[in-house]
Amino acid sequence: MRKKGLYLLLLPGVLFLTLFMVIPIAMTIASTFFHEGSFTLQGYMQFLTDKYFVKILLTTLQVSLVTTIACIVLGFPAAYYISKLGPRKKGILLALAIFPLLTSSVVRSFSWMIILGKKGLLNSSLLSIGLIDKPLEILYTPTAMMIGLIHLFLPLIIITLVGVMENIDPDLIKAAESLGASKFTAFRQVIVPLSVPGLIIGSILVFVGSLTAYTTPALLGGKQRVISTFLYQNAITLNDWYMASVIATIMIVITFVVIFFMNKLATKLNPKG
Amino acid sequence: MALLALENVSVAYDNQYILQNFNLNIEKGQLISLLGPSGCGKTTTLRLIAGFLEAKDGRFLFDGKDYTRVPVNKRNFGFVFQSYALFPHLSVFDNVAFGLRLRKVNEAEVKQRVLRILEVVSLGGFEKRFPKELSGGQRQRVAIARALVISPDLLLFDEPLSNLDANLRINMRVEIRRIQQELGITTVYVSHDQEECFSISDQVAIMNKGIIEQLDDPATIFKYPKTEFIARFIGFTNFIDFAERSETNGEIGLRVGGHEFVAAKNPGTASPMSKKCAMRPDDLLVTTEEADQAGMNRLHGSVKVSTFLGRSYQYVVETELGDFTVNQEMETPYRSGQKVNLLFPKDKMVLVD
Repeated sequence: MRKKGLYLLLLPGVLFLTLFMVIPIAMTIASTFFHEGSFTLQGYMQFLTDKYFVKILLTTLQVSLVTTIACIVLGFPAAYYISKLGPRKKGILLALAIFPLLTSSVVRSFSWMIILGKKGLLNSSLLSIGLIDKPLEILYTPTAMMIGLIHLFLPLIIITLVGVMENIDPDLIKAAESLGASKFTAFRQVIVPLSVPGLIIGSILVFVGSLTAYTTPALLGGKQRVISTFLYQNAITLNDWYMASVIATIMIVITFVVIFFMNKLATKLNPKG
Repeated sequence: MALLALENVSVAYDNQYILQNFNLNIEKGQLISLLGPSGCGKTTTLRLIAGFLEAKDGRFLFDGKDYTRVPVNKRNFGFVFQSYALFPHLSVFDNVAFGLRLRKVNEAEVKQRVLRILEVVSLGGFEKRFPKELSGGQRQRVAIARALVISPDLLLFDEPLSNLDANLRINMRVEIRRIQQELGITTVYVSHDQEECFSISDQVAIMNKGIIEQLDDPATIFKYPKTEFIARFIGFTNFIDFAERSETNGEIGLRVGGHEFVAAKNPGTASPMSKKCAMRPDDLLVTTEEADQAGMNRLHGSVKVSTFLGRSYQYVVETELGDFTVNQEMETPYRSGQKVNLLFPKDKMVLVD
């Protein structure tokens, strides 16, 4: 087969993406610069000077960042453990790890509402053993959102890290130990740096996923808004499609900026050779 | 006293013993090879010494101290892996400096020691490269430098040359021997390549099914293998199992089924009761002459197969005592089916267990 012919294989996918993604997004972005027929940056000015909007933006970034860091901290040791197992146990544990991704976000979020609510499982157990004397306010706060998002995205970081860690030669750990490294030092100086590529990809997936998640923050956040729920509110409740487009564009820009800097970081940290 | 001693050591995986009541002593400054087919326990022995495996029973003494429960990172042994196991994210310099930095050596001394050891392995000027940018032989030398720079009390090699091509293997083994002797460092070397082991070792331990069948200097093993297994392993292809043995005038008389042989009494390593003889194909002779020759045993036979080997011919000769393989240089070769006499020089018949 001639090489040129191979490009034809891409055609259906490219056509689909162009029609249903590239063109709509381009139109959405373009529409934000035109209001009532003339070029304007008014929407952006309005967004960035309004303290309420900015606070929502910062809350969103904070929730996404904390979620990402928590996923790394929780996922890294688990991924290392799983990567060391034999194929059978590894398959079972990976399937368990992926489980949260397979349940509907609505069901998952309602479960958290039952656990975290004022009279929920957590509060009633803590009250009954006397650790607290009035219920903790967790549900409908950023903390509840983070808990829900960590639960949702932990699998992503575990899967990507296991993939990278599996390919690290186990002799490297032995080599480090024979040179005098304790198990912990070998882990820190060999496994961690060699896991950076997986860490970067996993972090991008979790951060961008948290940034754009809708159901979980909508159900667990209560009145607390994040960008995605705020966007929905503008479009559906307030019927302000212009503002909704501005918010959508800002989300796209943030996503690209994050990916750009993470990739920069990756090239800097990436093991040579 | 030996520098290193394994005393009645046992190692088992899933209740299957790899080593059982295993003993080994190594003197200071020697290079000792563990040689044997795969599954004989040589790598297990090496990993046990390194500390990657724990003994189920027995003791491991090093320099008079009990090392049985000392963890890997406290042993100060250098280990060179078959896969080299260089850290891919570190430069040659940082790879070699790894062990020194863990020992909190100050950075000026690290630099000086790393650069010096890179000179020793002929890799001066390569310190900024990364493992991916090196050839197989260069990577192996970095691995050796990394193990040497920590001034280890013992150097361990696990089939270090098996991933290199034939020419490089010969150069590297000369190199390893040179470095080992220059630094006078006690070394244990594992390989399944007998030429490699024989060429670099002071002592070779030939292992089979978890025991050492013979531990001797290479020349002794080559000339006087102790057992049939070792004889076969190092190229003896002809064996005769005799029924009776007697000793007269410093010679050994051997009889089986009406045939009488005489073997010279040599400083062999087999037990004094052994009745089995091993002979190399190069040491036997095929002739059509009927006259007796001094110092030779004789057996009638006929040529079964004749193969041209280039420098010589290889014959398989069929006799009453079985088939024998002989390599012999000849202008005009014997034909298949030809009646011949097979000559066994007395002094080339080696008794084995």
